[in-house]
Amino acid sequence: MTITIHVPAALRAGCGGAAELFVSAPSVRAALEQIERNHPSLYRGVCDETGRVRRHVNLFVNRSDVRDREGLDTVLVAGDVITILPAVSGG
Amino acid sequence: MPERVLLCIGTKKGLFVAEAPKARRSFALRGPFGSGVAVYAALIDRRRTPRLYASSCNAFFGMKVLFSIDLGKKFKETKSAPAFPKDDGRALANIWSLEPGDDTKDLWCGVEPASLFRSSDGGDSWEMVPGISNHEHARKWHPGNGGLCMHTILRDGSRVHLGISTGGHYLSEDGGRTFKASNRGVGAGFVPDPFPEFGQCVHKISGHPDAPGRLYMQNHGGWPDRPGIGVLRSDDHGHTWRSISKGLPSDFGFPIVVHPHDPDTVYVVPLETPMRTCPGGAPAVWRSEDGGGSWKRLARGLPKKESFFTVQRDAMDIDELPTPALYFGTTTGQLWMGRDGGEEWNCLFDSLPPIHCVKVAVV
Repeated sequence: MTITIHVPAALRAGCGGAAELFVSAPSVRAALEQIERNHPSLYRGVCDETGRVRRHVNLFVNRSDVRDREGLDTVLVAGDVITILPAVSGG
Repeated sequence: MPERVLLCIGTKKGLFVAEAPKARRSFALRGPFGSGVAVYAALIDRRRTPRLYASSCNAFFGMKVLFSIDLGKKFKETKSAPAFPKDDGRALANIWSLEPGDDTKDLWCGVEPASLFRSSDGGDSWEMVPGISNHEHARKWHPGNGGLCMHTILRDGSRVHLGISTGGHYLSEDGGRTFKASNRGVGAGFVPDPFPEFGQCVHKISGHPDAPGRLYMQNHGGWPDRPGIGVLRSDDHGHTWRSISKGLPSDFGFPIVVHPHDPDTVYVVPLETPMRTCPGGAPAVWRSEDGGGSWKRLARGLPKKESFFTVQRDAMDIDELPTPALYFGTTTGQLWMGRDGGEEWNCLFDSLPPIHCVKVAVV
């Protein structure tokens, strides 16, 4: 079951410059755990040390923000695409 | 022999480095480094070949520590930034202070939420210091407007002084293993008890190596009903504090800086509340040459009116040349230099991003 993860440009240094990663995971949480194991620097950019997704980072599964679904427990199926994006904020 | 004056300027949009020959006639600016990301702490570490450090506090993707080994021509990230243990429940929100430790690669780092970390490898790995980070008071501290920050780390042999907003002054006398709140005489205007055991909104603490028992504190003053609690002095290693604010136009402010060659000479930037800008829109640094007994206004060259900026807690520093110059950065992005100990001011840069911190060294 292959899940594609789109990595934003600002975080690609944390995964060797890759724009896409491929994992096999039944949930968003499991996908992030794989990122933590294989690309800890990328993981730290997405989640803080408590495991929460950073406030100004949004995770989408296909076109849905996981905050509008089941959060990190959102179930994944083969072919799903996780997109990591910075939120619209700042000044 | 040191040959140049180096400034690290931490801003809302990254770190800038300015360099000048010792005459300080003209500064060359480079940066921003870590562009677009706020820098609240910087360190010019001269314990060996000079090394610059800066925090890089990315609201999106978390904290980093930057370093440079070529006087700020290039910066890289250290291998890691401080991080709370996974089961701690707290998450790093900002890095507020970076200070050198004993060995050449030792670093101390104060963070938000208020906690202390140490590195023994130049910032590549970090360990939380439990004596203060897990202090019985730690979960009772509350954030001030700037966040719950550990902004001051002052080391004096086995003594370690920490400034926390809002937490107060904490003192270790065993090298940082254990800490006690040490706030006798430090007031607070925002709780019923005017002199609580802890929880004060300390803005900055400074000292001088030639007078190790002497400390100066800029506390959160500006309270009409509790006057005089803003600018304080200790003569017993921070065990007790007394007001030295008489003669100042306001006892509210953020930075407090001591002259490098005279522990009796101390500088503050009084701000009026609620604006938190200099009284009357006329900026001035105030200097005492008698340890806070009296104060003189230093404003020659600064705007005389219509200037409404704040100088933040780490945004003023002084170089160590025989006739030192003061430097302060403003929330409106100006960097000012006050020659001859602040007697004559001129603006070095007038359109930087809002400035959070200024550090200077002769290297």
